[in-house]
Amino acid sequence: MKIETIRQTLKNKYLKKEFALITNLINGESEIFFPGYNLSGMFSKYSEEIEKIFHLNKNGIIENSEIFVQTYKNPIKVIIVGAVDISIYLIDFAKNLNFETIIVDPRGYFASKDRFPDTKIINKWPNEAFDEIETNSKTALVTLTHDPKIDDPALQYALKNKFFYIGALGSKKTHEKRCSRMIEAGFKKVELEKINGPIGIKLGGKSPSEIALSIISQLVSEKYKN
Amino acid sequence: MNNFPEKKIFEEADNWIKNNKKVSLATVIQTWGSSPLGIGSRMIVSEDGNFLGSVSGGCVEAKVIEECMSLMKNKKICKKIDFNVSNENAWEIGLACGGNISIYIEEIKK
Repeated sequence: MKIETIRQTLKNKYLKKEFALITNLINGESEIFFPGYNLSGMFSKYSEEIEKIFHLNKNGIIENSEIFVQTYKNPIKVIIVGAVDISIYLIDFAKNLNFETIIVDPRGYFASKDRFPDTKIINKWPNEAFDEIETNSKTALVTLTHDPKIDDPALQYALKNKFFYIGALGSKKTHEKRCSRMIEAGFKKVELEKINGPIGIKLGGKSPSEIALSIISQLVSEKYKN
Repeated sequence: MNNFPEKKIFEEADNWIKNNKKVSLATVIQTWGSSPLGIGSRMIVSEDGNFLGSVSGGCVEAKVIEECMSLMKNKKICKKIDFNVSNENAWEIGLACGGNISIYIEEIKK
């Protein structure tokens, strides 16, 4: 592999592109593959197999060949509503675990650059914020304000847009009340099962960092389901 | 930039090469049975024995570092190394977990 290929890999990750790094194990030659484009030289005859491995989000050697494929897909995007203390720890965990994070909080004094130096912050109400965020089946929502004015619109958006994961902070009682409000807003009971409430895996901890750990654990566990 | 497992490794490889060091890349290309790390796990090794990243849970790294250094010294392009479970040398280079892994090492070209 040439150092230039490694630099290109870093650049393409920076640009949030999805691609695969292909290596010929016989001579160490490498190339970057983008879906839908053909590769040059000896790699070209493997385009179909490479595309297959890429779409399965796998790494490995193509059968009966000496071609190694490493897939680089974009990570799960976690939208955190509420720039609270838990969020600071949650973002720290999320970074080390290769999730992308975005903070949404209309309260500017909470969601400040000082408190969240390296994170994308949107100082808007969820409904306006979602206009700026591209979401898909690899997006997760974590609501942490337990203020219905802020959390509920975000939860409604995530339910309608089939997010990969939805979690809402609050006790069982708070969650029951939340569900009643959602039903009043027109959601069916079965749809509300998608919300993890109370959020997180039961670890027993109560401090902000412990709650953040229980939330990130649930996200990792959901990521590897199936 | 979105983080990804090899980010630090690739950035550091670039730094070492900019500092005129020879650098090798080791990659897990195949695994059988239980293996500590998945296919695609990577590690870099410089000619003076610095390393970053991992290709197992610490079981085979020493051997891989040695192999990378000898690859660079002998100006070889690449090599595939297979590690099989072996009770006798489990402490040295075997995989205590009972798996087999295949690691590909190559010098990063400027």
